[in-house]
Amino acid sequence: MLLIDDLTVRYRTPGGEIEALSSISLQVEKGSTVALVGESGSGKSTVALAAMGLLPQEASIPSGRILFDGQDIMMMNVEERRRLRGSRIGLIFQDPFSVLNPSLRIGDQVGEGLVHHRGFSTERAFARAIELLDEVGIVRPESVAKAYPHELSGGMRQRALIAGALASEPDLLILDEPTTALDVTIEAQILDLLEGLRRQRGMTMVFISHNLGVVRRISDEVAVLYAGQIIEQGRTEDVLQRPIHPYAKGLLAAIPRIGQKQGRLAAIPGRLPDLRNPPTGCRFARRCPFATPDSDKPQILRKLGDRQVRCTNAEALREAPWPRPGESEQFAEVVRSPHAGPVVAVEHLTKTFGRHAGFAFKWRRLATSTEIKPVNDISIEVAAGEVLGLVGESGSGKTTLGLSILRLVEPDSGTIRIAGEMVSGKAQRALESMRRSAQIVFQNPDSSLNPRKTIGELLARPIERFRLAPSGEIPARVRQLLDLVRLPAHYADRYAHQMSGGEKQRVGIARALATEPRFIVCDEPVSALDVSVQAAIVNLLADLRDRLGVAYLFISHDISVVAHIADRVAVMHHGKMVEIGRADEVMNAPKHPYTMKLLSAVPRIDGPAPRSVGERHGQVA
Amino acid sequence: MTGYIARRLLFVVLVLVAVSMLVFSITALLPANVAHLILGPFAPPEQVRALELKLGLTDPIWLQYVRWAGGFLSGNLGESTLMNRPIGPLLMEAIGRSMMLTGASFVLIAVIGIGLGIIAALRHGGPLDHGISVGTYLGIAVPEFFWAIIVIIVVAAWLGWLPASGYEPLSAGFTVWAKHLIAPTMTLVFGHLAHVSRLTRSSMIEVLQSPYVTAARAKGLPERVVVMHHALRNALLPTITVLALDFGRLMGGIVVVETIFAYPGLGRLIVFSIQNRDLPTLQAAILVVAAIYALANLLADLLYARFNPKIRFGRNVG
Repeated sequence: MLLIDDLTVRYRTPGGEIEALSSISLQVEKGSTVALVGESGSGKSTVALAAMGLLPQEASIPSGRILFDGQDIMMMNVEERRRLRGSRIGLIFQDPFSVLNPSLRIGDQVGEGLVHHRGFSTERAFARAIELLDEVGIVRPESVAKAYPHELSGGMRQRALIAGALASEPDLLILDEPTTALDVTIEAQILDLLEGLRRQRGMTMVFISHNLGVVRRISDEVAVLYAGQIIEQGRTEDVLQRPIHPYAKGLLAAIPRIGQKQGRLAAIPGRLPDLRNPPTGCRFARRCPFATPDSDKPQILRKLGDRQVRCTNAEALREAPWPRPGESEQFAEVVRSPHAGPVVAVEHLTKTFGRHAGFAFKWRRLATSTEIKPVNDISIEVAAGEVLGLVGESGSGKTTLGLSILRLVEPDSGTIRIAGEMVSGKAQRALESMRRSAQIVFQNPDSSLNPRKTIGELLARPIERFRLAPSGEIPARVRQLLDLVRLPAHYADRYAHQMSGGEKQRVGIARALATEPRFIVCDEPVSALDVSVQAAIVNLLADLRDRLGVAYLFISHDISVVAHIADRVAVMHHGKMVEIGRADEVMNAPKHPYTMKLLSAVPRIDGPAPRSVGERHGQVA
Repeated sequence: MTGYIARRLLFVVLVLVAVSMLVFSITALLPANVAHLILGPFAPPEQVRALELKLGLTDPIWLQYVRWAGGFLSGNLGESTLMNRPIGPLLMEAIGRSMMLTGASFVLIAVIGIGLGIIAALRHGGPLDHGISVGTYLGIAVPEFFWAIIVIIVVAAWLGWLPASGYEPLSAGFTVWAKHLIAPTMTLVFGHLAHVSRLTRSSMIEVLQSPYVTAARAKGLPERVVVMHHALRNALLPTITVLALDFGRLMGGIVVVETIFAYPGLGRLIVFSIQNRDLPTLQAAILVVAAIYALANLLADLLYARFNPKIRFGRNVG
């Protein structure tokens, strides 16, 4: 159905030409699902755009062919390619929140392909759109068709997008991270939907994702991409359970698994090679613990049984496990605080939105009178050196709770006590000592680090602010902080944009540590990071807890990460805390039905093969 | 939607009340007696006294305001002290002529500005884009009176195609009427294109890179549909707001342009009443300008809501 042959794609950038894809070959049989997995910068999305003929102007294709049903897409003229798109090849994008046009009705967007490819009248296309929306499991499709995107939830939008891609009954569906922006329970529903479509319509799919658990549920075959090359390809279960290429091994080892709490996660050190000038030998060699002198020679994708691996040493590495991180960095026993008792104690905390005083808002209330309680009567305690994990889906109130505890959002009622100090009821300017003892690490280091300041300045600021060191000693203190988060001292002169995502998040953590806090709210600290980087940051946070005795409120939508790092786990749902308990208990024997639902929805890379998606459908729905 | 309009209308009324107070306070804030000011420093006291009585200047200030504002509401705008004519018809005539001028200019600014913006965005980085940028910047960088003079020199004096100034009513024949409008309109349009075209260009470029435009292309829609149907709808939202602001700027522009082209509209009336200390006319004219400005912004808000469903439903986006 789709044959990609020796495809190379380069992007012109101000810094030089980047080779995004290097000689990629991929064959997708009719009716099968092939997954492309890889971290950011691997080139997986470029494959999708190239197959659709949608590469931006900066891209050039020095070599390769893309055959769709025997025809070379690249030989076609613009008009022929346009006719192919949306009629025979459908594309579904990552983010349902930005892929729908905000000012057009859902029904029009679902049906418009029919108007232009099949010559339907607008009314007929709209009527067909309603049928399609019904088909993808949307309740009350008539009213949804008349709605605008902002009126729908993320899951509904993704269903609408799938309906739109199905409209002209394409032979091939390319899905680029279709569930990444969705909550796990919604993700499970969308995967069920796709699985159903695949069986009913015999649809061929190319599924692009960074999430190996999701890939395992949906695909027959998987190709792992690294730095623009396929490094391993084979049947999904084979690759995920018995990876051969060191990168694939590392990637799988870095994923925390629910119910198997290890000391530290395996991480892949280093970072992607510079694609402006990729190494001639193995592109992974510099990060590879198994690298040999042979690694510097050019590597080719070789057949190994029914698998293809790009490693000269593949045979020898077949059974070798990715090295487990030693417990070498074990520090002295956790420094428990001398005065026993919790560092943070929150009682009956409540925050209501939609009740703002003020002119404009009062009027809005008359019109809609919606009131939500993202934090509804929550009581929690965190002990010194303890990690309290907080999980829940988007909109459950996790972040609002974290911000309310630090008084970054003003709670309506309830009491907060941090490090023995009564924090609630005080004026903001009286919170000086709390601002020192409690800190926060944000999800996105790009927007939480001032781009105009050097890292040194960013770290020095809180030290100056709280007069924690005489000005002469500040540079030494900054170096100490960088060392604490394992960044080299010369990073003090860098700006945020000169660093990778993982490094930026390390700075975010260092900044939080600058005031020597006893409690840190970590608000989705690893959600924006790749799996291999995520593992390193999680390990770092765990080390810092052991070494400094800081307590965390660790907020994440990723249950496996929370299960790995947290001592206790709290589950939030619609602003209420539905369950709290020891991490292993909550994970292995959840009591609340919502926790069970959440856990069963998590796509796992271990455990029994999930080929029986269809059977599960009955249970979940 | 009705609630939304009612709310916006209430704001317009509040703005007008505030402006009317400001305008009226000119009388109170003037250093000399208004009657003196109108009649000049050498007027005999009995004449001043008579005018004071006529204008009601001996009453307390709030009563004067209430009378003045009440007159406005009942359609009695008072009398021009200079021309001894009721201000109402005088103003209506001027507004009518100015509306022809600003209306034509506004439509051209919107159509040409948005058009140029789209072209520049589609060709962005290319020579056509740069050409449009330079041209429109030139228009906005140099004051209107300069362009007015250039237009007069080129079109009227050298080429002799158009009359240099003045106004002829429509009853004098369409061609004659139109010929008098072209030169001032050209001047106003050239001076205002940059705002609209630059803003349309930048928001269009942004929108063209948005995921939903890529998605529209992925659906295999013809490029024309992608640009006009998917992109433009969203790209025009900020332009609408700026168009309303530009309408206000046009009201300022006509003061200059009408004076230079000797076009008997609202702008010229304002200048005329300032020069001749015709205070009642000036106050009425300024209030009218403020009203037009406020209504233009109201219209923009409504159009914005029309194109932006998130506002239309007055709902909070979850």
